[in-house]
Amino acid sequence: MFEMNRRTFLKVSTGATAAAVAAPKVLNAMENELGGKDFGPVTMAERQAVPLTCHVCNIQDGAIAYVENGRIVKLEGNPEHVSTRGRLCAKGNSGMWYTYNPDRVMYPLKRVGARGEGKWKRITWDEALAEVTSKLDAALKKDPNSVMMKYGRDRTGGAIGRFMKTLGSNTVVNHTSVCESSKKIGMEPTWGPDIETPDFENTKYILNFGSNIMEAAYFHNPYSQRLTEGVAENHAKLVTFDVRCSNTAGRSDEWVPVFPGTDGAVALALGHVILREDLQDTDFIDTWCNVSTAELKKHYKAFTPEWASKLSGVPVETIERIAREFALTKPATTYTYRGPAKHLYGSYQEKATMMLSIMTGNVEKRGGYCLPRGMGYDQPSPQPPGGAKPSYLSGPSEYPLAGHKVSHMTPLWIAEGKQKINVYFTYMDNSVYTNPGAQALWGKLYTDEKLLPYIVSISTVIGEETALADIILPDCMYLERWEPESMPNSLWPWLGIRQPVIKPLGETRETRIILRDIIHKLDPNGKRGMKQYWNFKDGEDYMRQQFDNIPGLKQAGGVEFLKKHGVWPIYGKLNPRTGKISDNTGREIQAEFGLYMKELSAADMAGASVDGHGTIHKNGKAIGVRRKGKNYVGFGTGDRLINIRVDEWAKYGFNPMPTFKQIPWHKDMKDDELVMTTYKYNVHVQSRTASVKWLAEIVHANPALMNADTAAKIGVKTGDLVRVESKVGHLVTKVEVTEGIHPKTVAISTGCGHWEYGRLSTLNLKSGPEFGGTEDADLKNVWWEDKGVHPNAIIPCVVDPIGGSQGWYDTVVKVTKAGPDDKYGDVVASYEKHLEAAKETMRYAYTGDLHRKMHPEMASWGGPASVKGGGGGGHH
Amino acid sequence: MSELRISSIETRGVPGKKRYAMVIDLRRCIGCDACMVACKAEFDVPLGVFRTWVPYKVIGKYPTVRKMFLPRLCNHCDDPPCVRSCPVGATYKVDDGGFVLQHYDRCIGCKACMASCPYNARFMLPKHRTYTDITRVVDKCTFCHHRVTQGLVPACVQTCIGRSRIFGDMNDPSSEVAYLVNTMPTQVLRPEEGTKPHVFYIGADRNHTEIGRKIYDPQSAIELERDVYNRNHS
Repeated sequence: MFEMNRRTFLKVSTGATAAAVAAPKVLNAMENELGGKDFGPVTMAERQAVPLTCHVCNIQDGAIAYVENGRIVKLEGNPEHVSTRGRLCAKGNSGMWYTYNPDRVMYPLKRVGARGEGKWKRITWDEALAEVTSKLDAALKKDPNSVMMKYGRDRTGGAIGRFMKTLGSNTVVNHTSVCESSKKIGMEPTWGPDIETPDFENTKYILNFGSNIMEAAYFHNPYSQRLTEGVAENHAKLVTFDVRCSNTAGRSDEWVPVFPGTDGAVALALGHVILREDLQDTDFIDTWCNVSTAELKKHYKAFTPEWASKLSGVPVETIERIAREFALTKPATTYTYRGPAKHLYGSYQEKATMMLSIMTGNVEKRGGYCLPRGMGYDQPSPQPPGGAKPSYLSGPSEYPLAGHKVSHMTPLWIAEGKQKINVYFTYMDNSVYTNPGAQALWGKLYTDEKLLPYIVSISTVIGEETALADIILPDCMYLERWEPESMPNSLWPWLGIRQPVIKPLGETRETRIILRDIIHKLDPNGKRGMKQYWNFKDGEDYMRQQFDNIPGLKQAGGVEFLKKHGVWPIYGKLNPRTGKISDNTGREIQAEFGLYMKELSAADMAGASVDGHGTIHKNGKAIGVRRKGKNYVGFGTGDRLINIRVDEWAKYGFNPMPTFKQIPWHKDMKDDELVMTTYKYNVHVQSRTASVKWLAEIVHANPALMNADTAAKIGVKTGDLVRVESKVGHLVTKVEVTEGIHPKTVAISTGCGHWEYGRLSTLNLKSGPEFGGTEDADLKNVWWEDKGVHPNAIIPCVVDPIGGSQGWYDTVVKVTKAGPDDKYGDVVASYEKHLEAAKETMRYAYTGDLHRKMHPEMASWGGPASVKGGGGGGHH
Repeated sequence: MSELRISSIETRGVPGKKRYAMVIDLRRCIGCDACMVACKAEFDVPLGVFRTWVPYKVIGKYPTVRKMFLPRLCNHCDDPPCVRSCPVGATYKVDDGGFVLQHYDRCIGCKACMASCPYNARFMLPKHRTYTDITRVVDKCTFCHHRVTQGLVPACVQTCIGRSRIFGDMNDPSSEVAYLVNTMPTQVLRPEEGTKPHVFYIGADRNHTEIGRKIYDPQSAIELERDVYNRNHS
């Protein structure tokens, strides 16, 4: 039974003795240090600590990696990090498995079979670079814009953009439209930034619309910490509107289920009650907004609780009660994430929710709805000028307001020939899995060599998309790269770095080095003028050039300081007695509030002029706003005020004021039809974590969540198979019956059901690692046989005509008990129907025929022809 | 380090000695599972077994629904049945600190301790592990003995996002755990077993701890897949 070799035996015994001897005589409870060092449980040796910024998802927590015998064995939060305060989530704790994934690609690969056939040949970096640059050469000669880059998660600190600018191509497409774009577009024209930073710690009331902050969302770890403090220590009330009882909803004081896509209506009705009962902050509205309280009261008259109740199913008295509670409790804040935004007209919904924090004057207050605090870094000089010609794919003319692009429509637009692509780069992306249509739509695009003649994947692993590439350039994981980082995920701004904890494994290279090597191969002697922009020795040298001139950082020690601490500035010490940051007097650090009320100096005002609205102009730019005789910086909008009325929207025939549009195809849903929504589990990101064993062990399958009543109606119980059918296809999956979901909703999470992404994700563990990775003996212990079913293939494209978002939560489906021919895991969807759906959704664009019909209140709009120079990329 | 093999010798309240305990404040647990994963990393815990885990329950009927989490781990009992039941003295209690620990070199894998534990906190290590070569013996949570003796809190406490897990010395009246246990209503699991558990819960009501007793199973998520688990993990 007992299997332990002699060496381990000795180690354990001496370890135990050593521990007993090393233990200080008087230990002073919690009280014990919260981290910052680590010891091996068997060896008792202190492990080497390397601070860095986590990048398992995109929250960018401060972390420390611990190394023993050359292996990264543990990750924890960096206690010096003001935002993360020494803690990581489940995903962050398992990040070393990105690096040690046995199925990682360790050397360049070239496709030898047909696309997607899975036949690869190992090649050298020289061969890989020669092939890629010869394809690039040919493409650049035809049209620089025919070189396309689509990235999912770009945290290279500007290297991806620099690369494309060096090539002279503007065809750079991100993933934001399947993420949060309509949230951004709902907010930006209104108050400047694309996100809010609620002061959860000091608030007394939180209205949460569709954010599952305790499991995912921006910014899960730091915000969950503060939210818990607000609720447990400050006795704040947390109210969550959601279609599903997520962990966040389930831990709220009240979960208020809403019909999918009607959060905005509820928010407007809450506003209606606040204004009707005169509970608004009149002074704030009249001083800081471009619409007066009187105008607002008039505008909100129509949005009665009765109207919203009919749409959302939320009782009138609940709306009235919550409106009074929210308006009369100070400080209070709203918070949203993808719930309201990921719908047709998601931008309207986001704006409607944000209005509640604005009209109650909770903006930039302690405990309120605050502006994000970020920090920047430089780009090395000289900088490439970029391409001259606009690119349709990165700035489609039908969506001029969608400043974060409309990436999920790429397959339709390439198929329609809107733009010819010769070389397609994919970086840290997996559209074939993550986008609407998935394998049915994107899979088709990727296998069609006429549409995409050459696909280069910069990737660490063969996911669904990389499986269809022509060549794979093996990238490094985040624990092996140099990168600058900053995220507005706390009320204190910070700058951080990623630094290699270990040398890149195998022949992998960090992203910046791969891009540099491509440019250097294209322009070996600098004659093409490209090489000058890639003048750095290595990743560290590149990053150093970005940090060299940051005031304050240089004095603190510059990059050397960041290498030692991982983050700058350090605001204080993590207090083990409170879990908060204390300054050197032992007091909890306090954030600054009221950023918009910072006064302009006399120097700022020199040569400035003030217009009739009080906006202060200087050198052709609005720099502030004059109020009550004082000159303030105001908000980051064109007139430095909060723009409740967004005039730019009216230009394109959209309602410039807070409004709500019901999703037309939700109006006449039949009794047996449900709305399908997706969500994330606490332990998974969208597509990358199914290969992480500790996370897959906790969640590996994603049954369809159905309300008990709904399940009873169709006669299914937990574990039964159902067929879920949308207008573009169907899938067969298992049911999990729960009380925690709206009866008209079926929810299927993302993150499971992979058909590529390595042996663990696909539960195909019989063979060993194929591409140079090291096998993990623990994979012999995998005990589950269910990998789940991925829903995206049956979700059609929907585009918010304003913000460009995918309408993830708009799909109408029919759910029936599975038939005799239905097998678990069946996913069947039609490419043609997906293209049709994508064309259909463009009818809601400002250029489309349904736009006017949806906006009878904008009857005086002059039509698309009235817009001069419309299109071409929004305001970013 | 003095080892106690007579389980009923109390370590709580002994002058000059420490008695470690954990308080889990359920008002602050968000069910993020960070503790489960941090523990896996700390000890290279193989798939299929957990030193700590977080079962959850959905309570109520639509639309009045709440979700409840109950983080679980070894209770480091002051009268541990596992110590009593071990035939070879592999399981013992640490006199100064109260940790209930396991001598891997003595364990014969008879599973008597597993059977006697009312909390299902013990498990048999499988044959394969990633980099640690202690296998096929019984293992369990150690309250991170190796960290605590170096002045650090356990790994699950260290990473706890909601700061739901608090760790410290019950014998120190100024410690946070002593403060919480002495000033707040707390609950322990299965008090009727007389094990004197040293994991205290704030906010654990009978909905958590009694209905169906599911939470005493090794891992509630596994329950749905029990057949597969038994087949693939012996």
